[in-house]
Amino acid sequence: FLASGELVQSCGHIIPESPVLALGSNFTALCILNESCLDFGNIYANQIIWKIKNRLVPKEQYREINRTVSSVTFNDTSSLATPLTCNILADGQIEQNIYGITVTVGLPPEKPKNLSCIVHQMAKYTYVMTCTWNPGRHTFLDTQFRLRYSWPEEIFPDCIPKDVNNSCTISDIQFFVNTEIWVEAANALGKAESDPLVIDPIDIVKPLSPQNVSVSSGILPTVLKLSWVNWISDAVMTLKFNIRYRIVGDTNWMEIPSEDTASPRTSFSVQGLRPYTEYVFAIRCMKEDGVGYWSDWSEEKTGITTEDQPSKGPPIWRIIDASHSPDSWTVHLIWKAPKPFEANGKILQYEVTIRDKSSLSSPLKKYNVTSTNHTLHLPKGTYEVTLIARNSIGASPPSVLLIPASNSKAPVQNLRTLPKHDKLWVGWTAPNSYVLKYVIEWCVMSSSSDCIIDWQIAPGDVQGIDLKGIKPFKCYLITVYPLYADGQGSGQSVKAYLKQDRPSKGPTVQTKKVGKAEAVLTWNHLTVEEQNGFIRNYTILYKTIDGNETVVTVDPSKTEYTLSSLTSDTLYTVRMMASTDNGSRTGPDFTFTTQKFGKGEIEAIVVPVCLAFLLIVLLGVLFCFNKRDLIKKHIWPIVPDPSKSNIAQWSPQVPAKHNFNSKDQMYPEGSFTDVSVVEIEADDKKSFSEQDLKPFDLLKKEKSTSEGHSSGIGGSSCMSSPRQSVSDSDEGETTQNTSSTVQYSTVVLNGYRDQTPVQVFSRSESTQPLLDSEERSEDHAGGADSTAQRQQYFRQNGGQDETNADRPWFERTKQITHANEGDLVGFVQLQISGQSSQPLGLGMEKNTQEAALSNFLQTCTEGQTVRPETVEENPLPVDEMPKSYLPQTVRQGGYMPQ
Amino acid sequence: MAAADSPSTALRRRDLCSRGIRLAGKMRADVVDLLDAYVEQQGLDASASVAAVEGVPLAAVERWDEQTGTQRLLENLAAYRAFRALLAQMLEEQREQLGEADAGLGRALAAVLLQVSAFAYHLEELLRLESRGIPGEEEDDGPPPPPRLSLFEQKLRGLGVLRELAQWAVRSVRDLRQLTKPSPATAAAPGLAESP
Repeated sequence: FLASGELVQSCGHIIPESPVLALGSNFTALCILNESCLDFGNIYANQIIWKIKNRLVPKEQYREINRTVSSVTFNDTSSLATPLTCNILADGQIEQNIYGITVTVGLPPEKPKNLSCIVHQMAKYTYVMTCTWNPGRHTFLDTQFRLRYSWPEEIFPDCIPKDVNNSCTISDIQFFVNTEIWVEAANALGKAESDPLVIDPIDIVKPLSPQNVSVSSGILPTVLKLSWVNWISDAVMTLKFNIRYRIVGDTNWMEIPSEDTASPRTSFSVQGLRPYTEYVFAIRCMKEDGVGYWSDWSEEKTGITTEDQPSKGPPIWRIIDASHSPDSWTVHLIWKAPKPFEANGKILQYEVTIRDKSSLSSPLKKYNVTSTNHTLHLPKGTYEVTLIARNSIGASPPSVLLIPASNSKAPVQNLRTLPKHDKLWVGWTAPNSYVLKYVIEWCVMSSSSDCIIDWQIAPGDVQGIDLKGIKPFKCYLITVYPLYADGQGSGQSVKAYLKQDRPSKGPTVQTKKVGKAEAVLTWNHLTVEEQNGFIRNYTILYKTIDGNETVVTVDPSKTEYTLSSLTSDTLYTVRMMASTDNGSRTGPDFTFTTQKFGKGEIEAIVVPVCLAFLLIVLLGVLFCFNKRDLIKKHIWPIVPDPSKSNIAQWSPQVPAKHNFNSKDQMYPEGSFTDVSVVEIEADDKKSFSEQDLKPFDLLKKEKSTSEGHSSGIGGSSCMSSPRQSVSDSDEGETTQNTSSTVQYSTVVLNGYRDQTPVQVFSRSESTQPLLDSEERSEDHAGGADSTAQRQQYFRQNGGQDETNADRPWFERTKQITHANEGDLVGFVQLQISGQSSQPLGLGMEKNTQEAALSNFLQTCTEGQTVRPETVEENPLPVDEMPKSYLPQTVRQGGYMPQ
Repeated sequence: MAAADSPSTALRRRDLCSRGIRLAGKMRADVVDLLDAYVEQQGLDASASVAAVEGVPLAAVERWDEQTGTQRLLENLAAYRAFRALLAQMLEEQREQLGEADAGLGRALAAVLLQVSAFAYHLEELLRLESRGIPGEEEDDGPPPPPRLSLFEQKLRGLGVLRELAQWAVRSVRDLRQLTKPSPATAAAPGLAESP
């Protein structure tokens, strides 16, 4: 059997062979089998199947024409793809390829449209023509475009576009002959031609712009002459021109009227220019008849016109400072340099002339100034100031400013402002009188510096101007003065913002005073720099920690506000917000706590309590006063006279004591110098009572004679503090009478030597006679504590004191007894011997006293005052010590309990 | 001239005249430039006198102002057809002599040749508008082909052709301007034109 490849190659073919088909058209292909295959392989047309790129074509599209030919029909070639193959099912199942073709689908070219041409002048004699067209839809096929042109009896070579399909450039151009131009497009499916364009190439020329442009100034200061070279010969075309110019720095071009430059030329004088101004020029050209294209603008050239005399006097104004002297002014004349188009050159100097109008005879004053201000010191009056600006050509017309003695004329009315984009419009209503002109002053308000005034002059027939250079968010103070022929109106001022913003910071609030239910808040106004706008109101926001915020709006003129209805003893947070028309800004938080009590509440409580207390005290005092006898009776109970008692008689020592303690004997003046303290140990009550008192050693010498130590009878005397005692000579007599230590002892209910105790007073306070006798027996007074205690006896040697060596000495004894339930206090007895009237304690060193006392307190638990000579044992135990009552001499300032 | 009554014909004639005038003006400018380049290129003296070129009607003519429009057109057409042939011959000789060495001069010659052709076309169109038959070129090619010349003679002849073409360009401008004028001469022209 033959190889399959050979079978396929030889068994059939498809017609048409590799067709190019129009997209969307129908297409029929035939597969023709070779006759040889019919017999050899039993292959017939009804076995043919068609495939497009391995995709089976539906059999509905097949048609068996005869036993060797099968056709397939496609109604739309867009469903076709490459390759289209003819196949056969050999032996019913085995698919064998018979033949295949390549199908190309595309579109015929469309007619090129919108053909247009332009001739560019490349050099003086070189012109090229570029034509462009719209090639139409994409054809999906290789399509050739060619630009063709011809004269009626001459056909030129075609122009084949390179890399593009919509333009072509012809370099060999002949003018003045109508040329027919058209475009041909062709591909496998067809050919199309554009409509022909018949044109003389000279009518579509874009010439080169004029070359070598130069500008020269002429004789006149308003003329500049422009010259150039045309790069196209008159034989080819005559030209017309456009000339434009502008001032250097300006962006707006001005143009010479086209009719002035509609004829061929190589120069032109531009007139009506400003003197001493630099201009920029540019020029372009096109065919004189206007058929064709304008050239590009030439390179820009500049030229400066010559100077001319200033056309207008400088605007002048003044600032008057009258603060230095009541009779004279400091006049600051200020003026603005003329604008360039008014100066017409470089201003060399200004001439200021002052004329005193109040005095016709006064001479004119002239000043030549190079700056734009001049300061004069003038007596108050009416002056006329004339200002002239001068350049190298001449002088300007004079500017005249009248400075009247007072601004008594009518001011403008209804002054108002309105922001307009970046300008601030200031408007006013004119006064009834004729106004020559208005002066508008303005300055930025500042809290830290002076208002630096800017100003402007407006004609008298306007009622509003735009202020330029105004910055947003700045507060401007604007003042308008009307100037009359014979005077000046007073200025009217208004504050204005070009644009407002919210304040840059909020007010800082603090409390001035805080009460129970109210708080006075204070704050400072924001500075004008911080305001950024007109403050419309302040808003106070306050709240407790967990409460809702309360808002209060406050007038912007206020700097203080009282919050009321606050809760007492509560922490509040308050902050403050300043608002302009454009927003608000809140200041820092401030916290305060309301007071617990309101004003006067504490006083209302304390004062009545104090009054009540005082009343009670007063009533108590009155009561005590009324009941003093009764009280006295309780405090100082009547003590029976011991001398008449059985106990006195019973005590064997008493008589001796009495004798010994006789005042004269006991304290002979100047003889009693030493006081010794003797410590006696008492083992117990019993032994104490039994043993004799031993002679005691001198434990300590007191330097200060004015210090006394507590001693005496009773268990608590040592617990008393040492006090200073001062005696006064005025009371010498009294002191004489009471100088002796008088001690009274209460015999404590205790058994003596195992005897049943009987509650009797062994000693008591009584009347003075009693004291005498008692003094003599006081040495016996003393007791022992219930426990083993030391008993101290002290002895003072006043003679050892340097200061008081020769003075009357004194002896003090302090005895504090614990009172019974009915007794309140112990009393201290002061004994001053002799005629001493000096405040003996004055020379005493207190420290020494205290040291001695401290020592004394440490060693003594229960003192017993004894005489040096009377070192006798006190037979009574301490527990048996009766309460003692010490009559005393009370002296103001001198009485000290001891 | 009957067709001259039609407005469209008048417009067409005016357009052709205008364009022809400008073309002749440009042609003169180009020929003057070409003359300079040619003299320099060929090593000739610009002041060299050249005898009249054979086969070219002289631009200078007596009683020029008495000519009719058709006469002017016909003389112009004859002259420019002659120039066309001479310039084509010059271009051929130029290419033979210099090859592509001086393409600039060749391009300039070709451009002038094109202008001459274009101007001849203008003249033919004007003659058609005049309803006059256009003489066949064979008729005008009366003079036999010039004999073979030496190289120098070729150069001198070329100089003479260009000079005469420059003259004719000036005259053509004047002729066409004359045609655009509705002068009484035009009215009398048919008699004069038809008299020959």
